[in-house]
Amino acid sequence: MVRIIGILLGVLLVTHTIGAQLKLPPAIAEEKPFPELFLPSLDDGRPVSIASFRGQKLVLHVFASW
Amino acid sequence: MPVWHDETLELQKQGKLRMVGIIQEQHPERARLFMQWKRMDWPVMVDSLDLLEVTYVPITLLIDEHGIVRRIASPRADPTALLSDFLDREFEALAKERTGTVAPPNLATLDAPSEPATAADWREHAEALYLWGRTERIDYAIGSYAASLRLEPEDGWTHFRAGVAYRRRADLPAARAGDFARAVDEWGTALEIDPNNYIWRRRIQQYGPRLDKPYPFYDWVAEARRDIEARGEEPEELAVEPRGAELARPARSFAASEAAERDREKDDRIHRDDGRLVEIETVVVPRSVEPGATVRVHLELRPKPESKAHWNNEVSGLVFRIEPPEGWKVDRDRIELDNPAAELGAVSEEVRRLEFEVMSPATATGAVELPAYALYYVCEGIDGACLYRRQDIEVRVSVPTR
Repeated sequence: MVRIIGILLGVLLVTHTIGAQLKLPPAIAEEKPFPELFLPSLDDGRPVSIASFRGQKLVLHVFASW
Repeated sequence: MPVWHDETLELQKQGKLRMVGIIQEQHPERARLFMQWKRMDWPVMVDSLDLLEVTYVPITLLIDEHGIVRRIASPRADPTALLSDFLDREFEALAKERTGTVAPPNLATLDAPSEPATAADWREHAEALYLWGRTERIDYAIGSYAASLRLEPEDGWTHFRAGVAYRRRADLPAARAGDFARAVDEWGTALEIDPNNYIWRRRIQQYGPRLDKPYPFYDWVAEARRDIEARGEEPEELAVEPRGAELARPARSFAASEAAERDREKDDRIHRDDGRLVEIETVVVPRSVEPGATVRVHLELRPKPESKAHWNNEVSGLVFRIEPPEGWKVDRDRIELDNPAAELGAVSEEVRRLEFEVMSPATATGAVELPAYALYYVCEGIDGACLYRRQDIEVRVSVPTR
């Protein structure tokens, strides 16, 4: 029984730790506007903002190719 | 991401949905090759400085037609299930929460912050120069990050971004000696301030030892090029080829190679280059090693333009040897670099690079100098002598004191 409780506590701890690590910055949250930030386009370096796509539904991936 | 792309192709074609990306990479053009390989032709923005302040990737967000984030998707989410509700709903704008769009600055009129300037003023100035000044303003961007850090030395984000700027300059023709080491140092400081930032940690792992890599970085590049060429297309060019640490497979244990035969006495008689002909830069990643852990050492050898020095490619290639002190291990104690491809000709002046890994003993403390040397054929002046030279190198590895 003690062992099972230990395992459960361990799972909770790991889950909590992963949750704590995967924290989004305060500026990115559900029901909030995405930060209106200009960044260079990968194609040609022109300034682009998520606001440039207003009027369309978007799936935004923040990623890296590694 | 490729899964999302494939499963939403029809929706994209019908104009019901737009895929957009923001990448968090030091070398953005590699993502361009990745996009070409996976036939993902949607717009992507570059955030090498991580202005979004995300601490991990990938992150997938569903954003409505008003620019409001409606769902933050789990990496394992089923795209079809998640999208059915999102696409069917009509969302209302949150007018009072909308912020104004800040346009990129006009660099022609962008002056340094007027005094008394804050750390944030200098950081914003640096970011504007880095993002929009292209490579011509990189020196000023680095200067402004340094000014910001003088006022707020404990700001992890500024340390990270300064590191990104140093590393960028290290890859440019305008590189200065020490740029790569400064980048590693800034990233190390950032990670000491916040050890939980995965993006910062990944930037060090990218150039670091195999034991620290949870998975390889750019091992997909060769396959991508083969596939793209097989389709009859020209693969996107890379400004900086992935090499060494960026291609190294993760290792579970550190296996030192068999000690190579040493011609110490013979090598000792070879004429020295005291650094007048070839400049050697050593960068240790990460900047210090825990007892029993591993670092990756990068060596860059540059013929010095002031001596009009150049490599002689008609003879054998460069040899590097290292003799670790008692208790220390290296993954290779002898490295041979072949001369470059024939198109560079009989002589050339390019930077030559090599990498190896060093494991410290479990009892290590302080700093240790690992004696090493490089042997190379270098020519001096236009018609000067081409001699076989040896340069002694001290690879300094520090163990943090507790």
